[in-house]
Amino acid sequence: MIQDAVVDLFIENATKAGAHVVRVTNVEELNSSLAGMLDRVNSVYSPGLTETERTLDIPAECRTDDYKDAAACVEEVHGAIAETGSLICSSRGGRAVQAGLLPRRHIAIVSAENIFADLDRFLGDLGDSPPTNVTLETGPSRTADIELTLTIGVHGPEHLGIIVL
Amino acid sequence: MRVQFFPTCLVDTFFPETGEAVLKLLRHFGVDVRYPKGQTCCGKPSDSGGYSYETKKAAEHFLAVFGGDPDPIVIPSGSCASMVKNHYPHLFKDNHRLRETANAVAGRVYELSQFLVHELKADLAGLKAQGIITYHASCQLTRELGVREEPLALLHSLNGAQFVPLATAERCCGFGGMFMTKLPEVSMALANDKLDAILATGADTVVGCDHGCLMNIDDAIRRRGASVRTKHLGVILAEGL
Amino acid sequence: MGARSESIPFRENAAQAVRNAALRAAMRNATGTFSVKRSHAIASVPIEEWRELASQVRLHVLDNLEEYVNRFERNAVKAGATVHRAKDAAAAREIVWCLLKDHGARKVVKSKSMITEEIHLNDYLERQGITVVETDLGEYIIQIAREHPSHIIVPAIHKSRRQVGNLFAEKLGCERSEDPVVLAKIARAKLREEFLSADAGISGANFAVAGSGSLVLFTNEGNGRMCTTLPELHVAVLSIEKVIPSLADLPKFIRLLPRSATGQILSAYVSIISGTRKAGEATGARHLHIVLLDNGRSDIVSGDSREMLKCIRCGACLNACPVYQTVGGHAYGSTYPGPMGIVLTVLLEGMERAHTLLDGTTLCGACGDVCPVKVPLPRLLRRLREQRVEIGFTAAAERLGMVGFGRVARSPAFFELAQKLARLAWKPARITGIGSTLDRMPMPATTPFRKRIS
Repeated sequence: MIQDAVVDLFIENATKAGAHVVRVTNVEELNSSLAGMLDRVNSVYSPGLTETERTLDIPAECRTDDYKDAAACVEEVHGAIAETGSLICSSRGGRAVQAGLLPRRHIAIVSAENIFADLDRFLGDLGDSPPTNVTLETGPSRTADIELTLTIGVHGPEHLGIIVL
Repeated sequence: MRVQFFPTCLVDTFFPETGEAVLKLLRHFGVDVRYPKGQTCCGKPSDSGGYSYETKKAAEHFLAVFGGDPDPIVIPSGSCASMVKNHYPHLFKDNHRLRETANAVAGRVYELSQFLVHELKADLAGLKAQGIITYHASCQLTRELGVREEPLALLHSLNGAQFVPLATAERCCGFGGMFMTKLPEVSMALANDKLDAILATGADTVVGCDHGCLMNIDDAIRRRGASVRTKHLGVILAEGL
Repeated sequence: MGARSESIPFRENAAQAVRNAALRAAMRNATGTFSVKRSHAIASVPIEEWRELASQVRLHVLDNLEEYVNRFERNAVKAGATVHRAKDAAAAREIVWCLLKDHGARKVVKSKSMITEEIHLNDYLERQGITVVETDLGEYIIQIAREHPSHIIVPAIHKSRRQVGNLFAEKLGCERSEDPVVLAKIARAKLREEFLSADAGISGANFAVAGSGSLVLFTNEGNGRMCTTLPELHVAVLSIEKVIPSLADLPKFIRLLPRSATGQILSAYVSIISGTRKAGEATGARHLHIVLLDNGRSDIVSGDSREMLKCIRCGACLNACPVYQTVGGHAYGSTYPGPMGIVLTVLLEGMERAHTLLDGTTLCGACGDVCPVKVPLPRLLRRLREQRVEIGFTAAAERLGMVGFGRVARSPAFFELAQKLARLAWKPARITGIGSTLDRMPMPATTPFRKRIS
């Protein structure tokens, strides 16, 4: 599969899983999409660990260093898997994987070249010394434990936004 | 064409008319039907109960009665046909002589609808029927023998009748041999579920390939006072000759 | 738990369950929905190929179980975990309790785990003064209702929204609601406090990866991730057969487990946890202890029911089983219900206690059809019925009847005699109620088929 088709498939499957996905081509578009997703969100955790994260335009007064109390977590994730529409969240590089779990909003930025076509292409190459925590995140947190009625956001985020760069 | 006929002990004892209907049906298509004397039961009841000694005895007897003749064996029951075809070879896996016979006999076994469609092309014969018909797919017939299309092809071919599919056709009716006596409340609940589904189709006749199931469904019909009737596939086809 | 030798009153439980209209409706809704969703999820994928591949991997592991378990242990230790072996439930409970004691833990949050149900861990820890909080919404409901799960995937499947609403109002002191969304929000707020204040997290694992020493957890709510990343101490309890060879094998199971369990393409969260938090990392427990439970598995793997250990606990066979659909999970009186539950309970708890469960199947085969790893459930159920007869756990009247059947089936003369006697005895038997199920069968024909054919 050529990478464009992989990206399209990822967007299709992530959307099916309940994520809100947009595709942008440059930093300006990235920041304007982000501004839309963060409308009226006043406490944002973003670790600033990658080049992309450092270029994000999040006003200083909205930022927080404590992901436990943040209303949103904005981060660049390790990659994604087209087959399942999943994000790959990895603890590599000192990232707190749980930071994307606790706030009500998780906004993940993924570079198009880091999208794997299928599970085998990612897990097959992960080898025998993976990072301490690798989490595949597919759609927002959900439960159907009461009469199988689908309820979004039981423990983890109610809203999963994905920006494909 | 010659066949050996094993109507099953259930048909022999409780539903002889079905045996006669199948006989008439096969003869209509020019089959020379032989009824091997001395036949009893295939051993299915003891097999599902876990009584392997008794099952082996029944199976040995079946093989003695049917094993000497190279003709196909036609059985109007999915569960009994599967017993002989699938379970006998396993039953005698440690007995070389009987295993050979069991394998040979297994290769010659046909459930009625299989024989009618694959050997006699009865689905192309333009048989007649009346009313609205639905179909219950019995468990061993579908899951163990893999016979799903044959009964449907035969029912669809009936001129003058309307076929309506049953939503939960492949769900167990709750008969299950001794299950019926072990968990009667559950058995009856499942038969009632089946009847609900049958009544929802609006059919006046529900057809099946196993008298065990039909008997169980009949009981639910009787208790409810419903007007739908059960009919063995062999009976409804023979009526349309 | 001491040895419980009396048998499970399955027939009585089942009869009672059949009369419970609310339970029947809940079970019908739940199992029906899951079955339909599963069919949709597998409709456009090469499911037979996937099942075969996954089955082969599981069989290969069982063929080399000790080796894979050892490899898992070595690699988990290398990644920073401490591994404990527990021979039985009592040993596992003791290990977990000692770990909590050593770390001074008073409150633990738990992610849903059938293994901890199997070893009755919660009751034990609570008796030691530990506060145990189940965090999966379904488990939480069951815990505050002081009940046991009725389904291995959705533990509170038997409860209606009205019942949950009443329960929450009574036990949590919140305003009464029947809206699942509102109820989930109440649980979220309540449990968030527990997550952040817990001293330890206890989880199971869906898989243990031998090659990397990783634990793999599937959850939808995110509670599993919280239990394993927020507290300093993470204790994982899992049975030895959960091992798969390497991460490269994981996709086979990621594709099958959620599809078979809930009809999802993938659960919301699949966490692959490899050891403890290392220098420079911001994720992971400081202390990871893995309790590998045997509890009879080593014996099962060398016996003729070994294929049961291929099971990945998806619950598809429960949803497909007409008996489970009708009676629900509690009737089985065991940790694991449904077809897989019958087999596993007989193997784990013994024939004396569990033989009654073997009546709970019509041998319709629906369970075998849906199993994602091709556990031959119908064959295992039949085989265990044979063992039940061999050991002598069937009723005397039934045994006598079967001896008679065996005699009749091998003698045409006796067979004909039996037909005649049956006809004669039919009416008296019905009237006296001796043959209580005879009134569900027609009377034998006056002239059997054998007498009609010339």
